[in-house]
Amino acid sequence: MRRTTSHFLWLIAPAALMVGIFFLYPLCFSLYSAVTLDSGELTLAHLNKAFELYSKDIIFTILIVLICVAILAVLSITIAGIITLSPFRTLSKTLGFLYRLPLFIPFIVTAQMMRTFLAKNGLMNNTFIASGLLTPMETVSFLGWSGIIITFVWKQLAFSTLLIAGAMAALDDSQIRAARNLGASRWRILLQIILPQIAPTIGVAMVLSTVTIMSVLSVPLMIGTGTPTMMTADMAFRINSYGDYHVANALGLVSYSICAVLAWFYLRQNLKEKGAQS
Amino acid sequence: MAHLHIENLQVGYGNKLILKNINLAVEQGEMIALLGPSGCGKTTLLNALCGFIPVSQGDIFVANRAISKRPAEKRNITMVFQSYALWPHMTVAQNIGYGLKVQKMKHADITTRVTELLKIVKLEGLENDRVTALSGGQRQRVALARALAIRPDVLVLDEPLSNLDAKVRLSVRHEIKALQKQLGFTSLIVTHDQEEALVMADRIAVLNHGTIEQIGTPEDIYHRPKTPFVADFMGADNHLTWPIQNAAITLNINPTITQAEIYFRSENALVSTRPPATNVDVNPSNMGLLIEGPVEQSVFFGNNYQISVRCGTHTIQANHDQHLPEHTPVLLRVPTDALHIFATEAGNSAPQHSLSPLSNQ
Ligand SMILES: Nc1ncnc2c1ncn2[C@@H]1O[C@H](COP(=O)(O)OP(=O)(O)O)[C@@H](O)[C@H]1O
Ligand SMILES: [Mg+2]
Repeated sequence: MRRTTSHFLWLIAPAALMVGIFFLYPLCFSLYSAVTLDSGELTLAHLNKAFELYSKDIIFTILIVLICVAILAVLSITIAGIITLSPFRTLSKTLGFLYRLPLFIPFIVTAQMMRTFLAKNGLMNNTFIASGLLTPMETVSFLGWSGIIITFVWKQLAFSTLLIAGAMAALDDSQIRAARNLGASRWRILLQIILPQIAPTIGVAMVLSTVTIMSVLSVPLMIGTGTPTMMTADMAFRINSYGDYHVANALGLVSYSICAVLAWFYLRQNLKEKGAQS
Repeated sequence: MAHLHIENLQVGYGNKLILKNINLAVEQGEMIALLGPSGCGKTTLLNALCGFIPVSQGDIFVANRAISKRPAEKRNITMVFQSYALWPHMTVAQNIGYGLKVQKMKHADITTRVTELLKIVKLEGLENDRVTALSGGQRQRVALARALAIRPDVLVLDEPLSNLDAKVRLSVRHEIKALQKQLGFTSLIVTHDQEEALVMADRIAVLNHGTIEQIGTPEDIYHRPKTPFVADFMGADNHLTWPIQNAAITLNINPTITQAEIYFRSENALVSTRPPATNVDVNPSNMGLLIEGPVEQSVFFGNNYQISVRCGTHTIQANHDQHLPEHTPVLLRVPTDALHIFATEAGNSAPQHSLSPLSNQ
């Protein structure tokens, strides 16, 4: 018995070490730095400063995340629903291929693509002008908050659709057939049969997307227009311009807290459902 | 025209043809069993009926209306699935009442109907239970109630009993049959179990490789199989290819035949141990087949012993009430009307296509 226990310890040691060195240590260090002075005394000064200077950006970040997640949920459920329920096989096959593409493009490349696509004289507006839909005077730049949202949604859509479509495909096909021969339309089946059963997966997809969006620097830097901007850009600015790690870490602490609240909600919901099922 | 009428139906996946030339007429209130080995297309036929897969040729009529172009949700044919296919996030009552809710029935009426159905399938008091808390037999009864709730024109059941354990299977089998008699719904039940088909169905359609080999009453199918496949599938476990060389075998039928495939059940072969000296009357006129040979094996089967007897290149199975030691010489006698004989034309090297059942009345 003791032997197997020590064997298990050896087995998990490399992974535990990796987590410790590359995740737990920097996390603790960052938290520590956010609430201490250089001399090592505890202080709330950095947090205060972060809120004083950047409360608008914090709210901006939260709004961007909420809007993105809402759009993501609607779009990926729609696409996954079409893939699962559409009677047109070629449509669902094509869609099943297309939606995966952004998965293989890094954020920074996506940001660059969107920059050239969404700008006032970018590809999108040029196309509109060439096709006669708009005159050069009427074009607007989508760089700014709307561009940030478009970019995040475009990039994260693949990931969340992959998760949600996977969960839908894992449902027993005969559950859907049973509903159909009782007269239920596809729309009704999606809402009443499929969604209630895959709600936990939608939750996971949205929580993970939130965390990703909160952590990306390239998109607000390249697509945003300066003020207000997202917290990642502020953190980079504190460090690059002032070498001010304390306030940057204080912003990081705010960011963790937002994600922690979400994680708490998610876990609580999950536990409730598990409890109800067993 | 019958209540459910299937005409020259052809169904396939892609360009792989699964069902060919299916013709079937099911009367109002009749229960027909589709019997056939795994992979012969039984589920495919039900799926085509329900509208889950398209029909490539032919037509389906329910109450004189062609329905093969309608989508599944407009056919009013409901299915009971092998896997139950209940919705785990709904209670028993919500599962059963779902079809009525879709039809926008009033809430109070749904409750009344659900209560009535729960009583019919003997699940009173379980309406607020989660379906995940039920046993297999209870789940299948919920599925049955759900499918019956909307009073479908046709109810189809796809191997509804095969996920249940043996004891529960017998009771659910009995209940489905009793319900069908009581409520008089028109139904098709798929099974690969011949006993299930015999017990439950008014008529049986035997399917093989996507075509119907024979349709008839259980007695017809059991006693008068029209093809070797049906004979074999209905439990005629002995198969001989006549003539047989190097064996003490006599075939005593009228008219005499030269080449044939002969089938009979092991329980119809009467075994007698015969000391060579005593020459009892071994040749009564109702005995169509006489075989002499040594016992090869004798296996205990509970209520009797299964005896294997060597006969030339064949091994014949028979039942006997006593154990017989190896090499005991025995005489097997099979009554004429227990023989299923399919004459093959002389000189034909591919006999499967030219089989014709010989009348054995
Ligand atoms: N979705 C499908 N696509 C292609 N072939 C299928 C599909 N479903 C079933 N088949 C084929 O159709 C044949 C009949 O299947 P099925 O109707 O399920 O048989 P049964 O229910 O009698 O066991 C099988 O050979 C099977 O491989
Ligand atoms: Mg099947």
